[in-house]
Amino acid sequence: MQAVMAFENAPPFAAPLRFFLTAPLFAVLAGLLIAFEGPDLFASRWTPGALAATHLLTVCFMLQVMLGALIQIMPVFTGANLKRPLAVARIVHVGLSAGALLLASGFYSGIPGLLSSAALVLALTVLLFLAATVLALSGVPSTSPTIRGLKLALLGLAGVVGLGVLMALALAYGWALPLAALADLHAGWGLGGWAGVLLAAMAYVVVPMFQLTPGYPMRASWWFPVAMLGMLLLWSAAVLAEWPWLVRLSQFAAAVAGMAFAGLTLRLQAKRRRARADATYRYWQLGLSASIVALLMLASAALWPDAVGVEGWTLVFGVLLVAGGFLPFIAGMLYKIVPFLAWLHLQECGKAKVPAPAMNKLLPDVNTRRQMLAYAAALLLLLATVPFAGWLARPAGVVFAVANGWLWWNLASAIRRYRQAEIDISRKLAAK
Amino acid sequence: MTHPKTPHVVDARYMEPPEPFVATMEMLDTLKEGEKMLLLLFREPHPLYKVLRQNGHDYEVEQVADGTFEILISR
Repeated sequence: MQAVMAFENAPPFAAPLRFFLTAPLFAVLAGLLIAFEGPDLFASRWTPGALAATHLLTVCFMLQVMLGALIQIMPVFTGANLKRPLAVARIVHVGLSAGALLLASGFYSGIPGLLSSAALVLALTVLLFLAATVLALSGVPSTSPTIRGLKLALLGLAGVVGLGVLMALALAYGWALPLAALADLHAGWGLGGWAGVLLAAMAYVVVPMFQLTPGYPMRASWWFPVAMLGMLLLWSAAVLAEWPWLVRLSQFAAAVAGMAFAGLTLRLQAKRRRARADATYRYWQLGLSASIVALLMLASAALWPDAVGVEGWTLVFGVLLVAGGFLPFIAGMLYKIVPFLAWLHLQECGKAKVPAPAMNKLLPDVNTRRQMLAYAAALLLLLATVPFAGWLARPAGVVFAVANGWLWWNLASAIRRYRQAEIDISRKLAAK
Repeated sequence: MTHPKTPHVVDARYMEPPEPFVATMEMLDTLKEGEKMLLLLFREPHPLYKVLRQNGHDYEVEQVADGTFEILISR
């Protein structure tokens, strides 16, 4: 009955799967770019290679998985029904992949036409996604912190993409804008307002559900998304008014809010009732720890602006928050979502007559744990590359590409086993 | 386990899916006309809500301070 129930609420498996299977390949590309460019990429956050690699990770990897996952889980987490989810998934997947590749190549080559094309394609794609999700959520009351968080995260998505498009056009056409201040704000909306708030909204459900922890306390879970969005609006106003003290104050407050969320999640995980520490749990521990260190750096820099002048400060912060924080959260979730969805679909195929194989048969723990260790090694290498770029940049890029290629291989293998199990179940049903 | 709202309680806060759904449907089957049951979860079970509505059950939801959703379901 569970399988029937879930299927009535869930879009076809093919809708999210396309996002989940292409995203790791872009992270491989980012690793190869780092290996190809070598030490030059780490000269500053503004090098063409660094900008291209950053957007390969944030747009091509993070945004891919986040939009794909939302298409899948919105009905289950919010009760909202996305109209024509497979059609939306197809268009958004193509638009996002093409737009992100245009963007990365635009940054890398500096060709204005590529940047403006990327801005147009990404703007249209995200607008379509926002229209579909806002339509689905209209009339859905915010009865839980997850629903309210998701609605606010969509505002964050509009904010980060709006600012990104503005800056891409400014770079392409040479508009005079305060690009450094806008780039910080764009990163704040992307990592705090969109990815951070979305992560929290999803964590309220998935952390207790998959890791058997206590729930997030009501007051904290309702207020975190509001506090984060409030700080970003304040930060935006401060940039417009050109008040650096208010920029720093809002950055400090956003960092404290983020640390409070990460610290709370670590505390809940310490009380979990599932004794076994699987790759998802370990990935989340890594992500939460790295995020707390990165946010401590942000808070410190807000209090002592001279810290940003320390060589490598901004690069270490970026690597810690993106490659150390968000990518591990996402990889950890992929390791739960993909086998869970595959199992759910096999349950449906079996029609309660032929049992589905267990989830750890579809994606064995040993494979995911080893991949996680490879990813942790890649992260350490990337961090060590900031002070020792001459020695480590190329090996770090290669190891990062291998670790993400391994993630892709593990997910693709789970899908291969799923397809084989689907054939076996059909045969057994036919023989009955 | 009993609760001030009803003696019929499924505490599914530390259960893995699909156990909360199965336990709720099993308890609903044991209730007499006019009785109510309480489901405790750390999330809102939207797919279950849909099944409850389809089967003509009323339900009320309240979230309490520790993050628990108390879902009171009428037979």
